[in-house]
Amino acid sequence: MKQLQALTIFLLLTHVVFSQNPSKVTIQGIIADTLGEDLPFATVMLLNPKDSALINFTRSDDKAAFSFKNIKNTEYLLKISYVGYLPYQQYLAPSVSELNDLGLVKIKPITQELLEVVIRTAKAPLSIRGDTIEYNASSFKVPPGSTVEDLLRRLPGIDVDADGNIKAQGKDIKKLYVDGKTFFGDDPKSATKNLDANIISKVQVFTEKSEQAKLTGIDDGKKDKAMNLELKEEYKKGSFGKVSAAAGTSDRWAARGNYNRFNKKEQFSVLGFANNINQTGVNWEDYGEFKGQNSFNNNDNGDFGFGGGGNYRYFNSDDSEIPFNNYDGRGFTKNAGTGVNYNYDNKKTKLSSSYFYNQTQLNLDQFSKRQTFLKDSSFYSTDTTGKSDFRSNHSVAVRFEHEFDSTNVLIVKGNLRFSQNNGETIQNQLFSKGNNVNTNSLYLNNGNDLNSLRFTSAAIFRHKFKKKGRSLAISGGYNDSNSDGTENLFSLNKFFQATTFTEQIRQLNTSANTTKQLKSSVLFTEPLSKKWFWESFYNFSNTNTQVNRQVNDPEKNNERVDKLSVFYDNSIQYNRLGSSLRYAHQGINITAGLAAQQLSLNGKYSIDKSLPLLTAPIDKKYTNLTPNVNANFELPNNKYLSFSYGYNVREPQINDLQPIPNVNNPAFRTEGNPNLRPERNHNASVGFNYWNPANFANMNLNVEYSKYDEQIIYSQTIENIDKVGIRTTTRPENLSGGQTVQTWLWMNYPIIKTKLTATANGGINFSKTPSKINNILNETTNNGGNIGLGINLTPNQKLILGLRGNIRFNNIEYSIQKEQNQKIRNQSLDASVKWNFAKKYYLESNFNYAAYKNERFGFDQKVPIWNLSVRRLFLKENKLEMRLAAFDLLNRQVNITQSGTQNYVITNTAQTLARYFMLSLTYNLRGHETKMNKGGHF
Amino acid sequence: MKKIIFVLIILLPSAMWAQQSFEGKARYLVTHNWTKKLDAVPYISKQQKERSAYMWGNDSEWKLYNNLYFNATTSKFEDSEEKADPNDDNRWAGRKELFFMKRDFANNTMTDAMEFLGKNYLIEDEIPPINWKILNDLKEVAGHICMKAFAEDTLKNQNIVAWFAQDIPISAGPDRFSGLPGMILEIDINDGAMIMSVDKIELKKLTTEFDLPKKIKSKKINYAEYHDLETKFIKEKRKEESFPFWGIRY
Repeated sequence: MKQLQALTIFLLLTHVVFSQNPSKVTIQGIIADTLGEDLPFATVMLLNPKDSALINFTRSDDKAAFSFKNIKNTEYLLKISYVGYLPYQQYLAPSVSELNDLGLVKIKPITQELLEVVIRTAKAPLSIRGDTIEYNASSFKVPPGSTVEDLLRRLPGIDVDADGNIKAQGKDIKKLYVDGKTFFGDDPKSATKNLDANIISKVQVFTEKSEQAKLTGIDDGKKDKAMNLELKEEYKKGSFGKVSAAAGTSDRWAARGNYNRFNKKEQFSVLGFANNINQTGVNWEDYGEFKGQNSFNNNDNGDFGFGGGGNYRYFNSDDSEIPFNNYDGRGFTKNAGTGVNYNYDNKKTKLSSSYFYNQTQLNLDQFSKRQTFLKDSSFYSTDTTGKSDFRSNHSVAVRFEHEFDSTNVLIVKGNLRFSQNNGETIQNQLFSKGNNVNTNSLYLNNGNDLNSLRFTSAAIFRHKFKKKGRSLAISGGYNDSNSDGTENLFSLNKFFQATTFTEQIRQLNTSANTTKQLKSSVLFTEPLSKKWFWESFYNFSNTNTQVNRQVNDPEKNNERVDKLSVFYDNSIQYNRLGSSLRYAHQGINITAGLAAQQLSLNGKYSIDKSLPLLTAPIDKKYTNLTPNVNANFELPNNKYLSFSYGYNVREPQINDLQPIPNVNNPAFRTEGNPNLRPERNHNASVGFNYWNPANFANMNLNVEYSKYDEQIIYSQTIENIDKVGIRTTTRPENLSGGQTVQTWLWMNYPIIKTKLTATANGGINFSKTPSKINNILNETTNNGGNIGLGINLTPNQKLILGLRGNIRFNNIEYSIQKEQNQKIRNQSLDASVKWNFAKKYYLESNFNYAAYKNERFGFDQKVPIWNLSVRRLFLKENKLEMRLAAFDLLNRQVNITQSGTQNYVITNTAQTLARYFMLSLTYNLRGHETKMNKGGHF
Repeated sequence: MKKIIFVLIILLPSAMWAQQSFEGKARYLVTHNWTKKLDAVPYISKQQKERSAYMWGNDSEWKLYNNLYFNATTSKFEDSEEKADPNDDNRWAGRKELFFMKRDFANNTMTDAMEFLGKNYLIEDEIPPINWKILNDLKEVAGHICMKAFAEDTLKNQNIVAWFAQDIPISAGPDRFSGLPGMILEIDINDGAMIMSVDKIELKKLTTEFDLPKKIKSKKINYAEYHDLETKFIKEKRKEESFPFWGIRY
């Protein structure tokens, strides 16, 4: 009852209160400027005074009157805007009557100078907040090195006299602040004359109480002009880096570090590493951070014409001066490398340069077992190899790109590399016939020493004509490489069933090779319509190679061995002229074209440089027509389909053309063939790609087919030669009939979004390769496939589990000795876990079980490898990481490869780094990533 | 004398604009900056952002043109055939995605057609209101003095700055933005992650520009349903801690 009374009183009271103000109101007024001139068509807005939210708006009519009819009666902020006038603001309290007539609302014109600022500084907002005017410093260009005073001289409405005194809108600036703080003493000039204009982002001019008023606390009504300089935040400037050191059991150690500095235009980085844990170079992530913006460069290929398909190799694909981690899993390596990179980019000009040095010392012990098939017999060989090999590279790379204007671009690249390689290989080979009868053993000790210098360069110029779509590109390149080497060879052959029991050969080889290549390409594009383009190109290259290989006999006073020494001078001239039509419209891109190409081969052979020719000069020309089709379809729902066909002609390798044999190993003799013709093949491929952006499911399918009209195949002659034993001689020949089909499939499907993902990959391949063994034509077919299935489980952000299995099989069949057909199986199972088990603690482990099997060979080996590591992050921003890692806990690491080609099957087993434990410390300037799942989209 | 001419230059166009019937086409240069987009996603780690910024350097921008057709009561925003990237010589043609945004301000209705996560949708509804805050800054865009307005998109985590013309009294704007006392000539989302800025306005009589394609192969939904789709996807990405703007409009 009491409550009801209270409520009644409350309702009555509120009614009384509100009855004083009507609930709806009409607000009206007339807009005029300070001179009394009416301003029609001005924008009138009502805002919420608390947050300036727009509630209602209207325009003044042609008589400059405006009204908001029957709106909620509450407090408003009236805002009026009109071109050329300062925005007007007026607080409106709730109205006491139903009509709130504001009468004449006078708004102030913007002073001439300020208006100029607004108009002139396109894209640069001039802010007017109450009585503060703010200039955006970056839109007033001053030369580098200018002081703030120079900058102020350029700001409209601000005057700086000869002495450096500053006036804003005619009034003296009495006080100057930098980032809101007083800058030494009272004289504003001390700041404006000394500060660099480039560090200023904004200049604000405002009025404040006079110094006098601030001092006395009595507002005397006088106001002084003051200025504040706001400094740039420069978030595009900074540095990052990382340094780590690790030590382990079995004398294992590793160290690496990198440091990067950058600003808007420049990127600078240094990188260094050294270890004996088989990391021979950098990974993709290191590469990206080292090269920075220059990691990827488009339009750098000056070899215009049909894309892909290997028409003709112009530049080396290993153009990168940075060593990647390319350890193949065999042996022990000690590595070191260091480099520095600098990039400059001001949008018109891009320059990047880098230097890198790296070295690797490899020690390898491996055992291989090989079975070679003849027409109706086979022989076996085992090979125990010990190898020590040292390689080093110095490399300098420079790339320069300049955009003269929107129609002309030039790119120039150069790369200089100096490499050294020396090493020693000791091999023990044992040859036997099928029934375990040993025939001979061969001991080889070969030492080598090679120095080489390589220079590559290219320039590309692109021009766009006035007619839209018409363009011309011209490229030129010069490559030069030189190498000098010596080889010291020793072989000792022991025979088990002969009268002469041992045979010993010594050989000292020197080689001096030079290659010079000059090339140029032109591409012209003419638009026929919006959708059709006509492209024409011409390629030229001339490659001259000189090889001087001198073989001497140390046992005969280093006398030259004439039958093994050779000097040859080879030139290959390549000319191609082609044209294609291109259709490009709404996701359909098709190109079809035809090119005529000519390869001219010229060769001269003699025993030494100054000696008469051994054979008549070789002079051959090969002319071919090469068609090319390329089609791409971008279908709805993120599906892509592509098709390509090309006819490829590839010139023979220089080594394959020389008429003099190479017998570094008496059991394997390599001969050249001066009559070798280019390799020619048809190549067709189809690709399909699907991506679902909603759940990230995707699928990739590729099929590629090649058929050879003429293939370069190494034919073998296997003979039992007196004083040598079983000798294999290989010689390149042109054979036709080779075919390959390859397919790849890759799929990724989320079963439970964000938690469980399944992956599947697979592939099937068939190949048919003809070869001649002892002049009998053999055809090796290799049918194989692989399938892999895996799942990734992420129950929460702290745990990631993975499991995957792979099976790979190869069936190798021989036409001359069917009973020797091989079946090779490799299987593996991989389980991994990443677990953030406590704050800042992480555990990572993976277990891999691999099985290698070849039943006919009686080969069956299983290799379980288990790695485990625990790491903890320390310090602010997790800058320090300590990791304890165990590699190959079960101590079972060994490298196994199995393969079968032409007429033999080989199994290779190599020793490599097995169980070791390692403790590492890493300090990262920008802190370690605490997330386990790095979204890798960038 | 100079000053008089200057004032005339400033005032004449606006006087002319005031007389015009506001009908025509505005071309917007749209600049996407992927580094800044990544930077604005709060849950992506500092390491990943810095790495991306360093590797992309000055190459992280992508530009294109969009057209806005407008009259006093209607507007339609769509992709332009013109290429904004001077290096794009038309030799490669991507698939044309379904996209337009039509606004009828007289009836307060929208008709939007777009691809969202690979599927086509037609969204018909009332125009969703935007809570604009009006600020005091002035700036010139394409010869028009504009005032600054600000809005926030809490779902996409975007700070949106709009510059609307004082002298074009229509409520149209680029993309999904409208509802200010003047036409929006520039939008800046997250300090340059995406900028849409008018570089050319042509006043002309429009003919068929507002017409919709006769057949639109798409699923019809209302705005609430579309907003739900967006919310669901962005929340999912947030949970996965991955970049949410692949396959949806920024």
